[in-house]
Amino acid sequence: MSQTIAFYDRVDHALHDNSLQTALQRATTRFISNRAGAIGALSDADRLRDQARAIRAYALAHLDELLPKLAANVEARGGHVCWASDGEEARRYIIELAQARGVRSIVKSKSMASEEIHLNEALEHAGFEVVETDLGEYIIQLAGETPSHIIAPAIHKTREQVSELFVKHLGMTPTTEVPPMIRTARQALRQRFLQADMGISGVNFGVADSGAIVIVENEGNARLSTTVPRIHVAIMGIERIVARMIDLGVMLQVLARSATGQKLSVYTSLISGPARPGEADGPEEFHLVLLDNGRSRILGGHYAESLLCIRCGACLNACPVYQAIGGHAYGGVYSGPIGAILTPLLQPDLPDAYLLPQASSLCGACQEVCPVRIAIPDMLLRHRADAVKAGKVNPIEKLAIAGYTMTMTHPAIYNASGKAARFFSRIAARKGRFRHLPPPLHLWTKQRDFPAPPPKSFRELWAERNKQR
Amino acid sequence: MSRDQILANLRTSLNANRPWLLNEASRAPHEPPPFVLPPENDLAAQFAAELTKLEGKAYRVPNADEALAVIDRLIEETQASSIISWDLDQIGLPGLAELLTARGITLADTTARGEERKARLQALEPIPLCISGVELAIAESGSLLLRHGPGKPRIASLLAPCHIAIVFAHQLVRGLGEALSLLAQRYGDEVFGPTSNLTFITGPSRTADIEMTLSLGIHGPPQIHVIIVEG
Repeated sequence: MSQTIAFYDRVDHALHDNSLQTALQRATTRFISNRAGAIGALSDADRLRDQARAIRAYALAHLDELLPKLAANVEARGGHVCWASDGEEARRYIIELAQARGVRSIVKSKSMASEEIHLNEALEHAGFEVVETDLGEYIIQLAGETPSHIIAPAIHKTREQVSELFVKHLGMTPTTEVPPMIRTARQALRQRFLQADMGISGVNFGVADSGAIVIVENEGNARLSTTVPRIHVAIMGIERIVARMIDLGVMLQVLARSATGQKLSVYTSLISGPARPGEADGPEEFHLVLLDNGRSRILGGHYAESLLCIRCGACLNACPVYQAIGGHAYGGVYSGPIGAILTPLLQPDLPDAYLLPQASSLCGACQEVCPVRIAIPDMLLRHRADAVKAGKVNPIEKLAIAGYTMTMTHPAIYNASGKAARFFSRIAARKGRFRHLPPPLHLWTKQRDFPAPPPKSFRELWAERNKQR
Repeated sequence: MSRDQILANLRTSLNANRPWLLNEASRAPHEPPPFVLPPENDLAAQFAAELTKLEGKAYRVPNADEALAVIDRLIEETQASSIISWDLDQIGLPGLAELLTARGITLADTTARGEERKARLQALEPIPLCISGVELAIAESGSLLLRHGPGKPRIASLLAPCHIAIVFAHQLVRGLGEALSLLAQRYGDEVFGPTSNLTFITGPSRTADIEMTLSLGIHGPPQIHVIIVEG
């Protein structure tokens, strides 16, 4: 069996990385309890989430009107709009803009859309200096890695690893204390902001009626990126829109609480076009890149509901699979349950993307915490069915399913195999679990335990009970 | 053209899924609640408690003189000789100009546009203190809403490590929904007329990116002092 499938290797790697396991446990536990506290404190959390879902559904239902409206309002305020069908168009627009304006240095605040289109590599290739300014993103940029969590991109790094990076790249005096690391990063990045000619940001929400974009953050790097450099470029997935500014009264509340358990994020910026005449500061130019990259087609299919997502990360933290393997194992830009839905759709060129929907026990914890109540397990099942229809089936799995069907439809075989399994479990199981099974079943136990059957079957217990009567 | 192509795709897609989406959209009202937590009587107290939880400092003072005393102390602590500030009449605190003059504090030139942008910002960077007013303050989350514009630069709440914000009691509202409604009432379609930027500020700049350890002041001000003038 050719078991060199990259996804399984990454999972294996993650499960055996002790510092990753500690970091994941620490982070997800904290996020889960913070979220639960913040949502629990609401007077009517269920209603607020229903409202959030309704507002997002309305926006998607009218996307063909709201996007042109957003674009027109941005332009009316003196901004520029680029409609990009794919990553290539978005990258080309930004690179040509930077070249035309004589830009040398670029600061970026966190943007999943820019990760999705691998913007940094393209900008660096074109000769620009690009610095990620969110602390977590900066750390992984120095390390040459990719984000492992939507909200906390560097949770997989220990403080010792961060210290080593800062010593090496920023000349910091070695320390394992966090405050001096924060001071070092502040000073280093502050100079980058002051020298930058262009700031690139993501967008949490586009607001159609006022031609504004909303950026939510805690550090202040997005405020600096959109205030200090003379050009601000914002990249927005076309689905990330709301119809009216007043909708933010619902959306910002559920976003902050679901993401980090805050009532509101530290900084929420609403930005409409470039600085006006008479303003003392702010960018001279504002460009909004509307990125489609497959979204306009997804809207018409049976994964449309995934476009309601507001990228809070709550489903990642809640997911027992994510808790065990972290974000990198998923291989795409988006990880966790929502990533398992989005990656096969947005990054179909990843060869093992079709396997991601398998990385779920369908326990439903993701849907339970989703602020817009996306039916994530349903869509994971649809992905699995689609993969089978597309012929992406492991031959052993096919055989196993055939065997299972045979067993479940023939009582005699069912009984016999039950007996065999119980006999086997007396010999091989430890504490009611199989840690290792022989091939081909080892493919299962390589990544998780298998529960051993109980000593007596239901049929046997039933028969005994009837005898006692 | 990509615009036309994207819009054409969207229309095709919505032909299939619009009914379902509209049905989902109709399942709950869209109007945000004015506030989302159980209401408290004293908005200033609630605001102060929320900000304190976030490690910001809140001061409830009965009049302008007491507010000036707090500012004076912070000038002393930060050893500021110059500040990044909104125009003083935009802050609206009586006696502030006199206090600054008496302490020999100069108002830094905040004009950071055009050719001189980089040089000016570089010169402003070492200043330890910035002062702003607010448009509104939200009690249940301890948030400030700053509507920037002429005389109200963004950097006066961003660049320096210590930010003082002056709030008058009448500017307090209960929740975010209420704040947004009020904004619409006051300015209608011209919310973004004189400025391209509105910012909600909820506590000091923070990060938990290193081992989930909470740290203040990674980029924005590590210190935020909100003085609520109640008289």
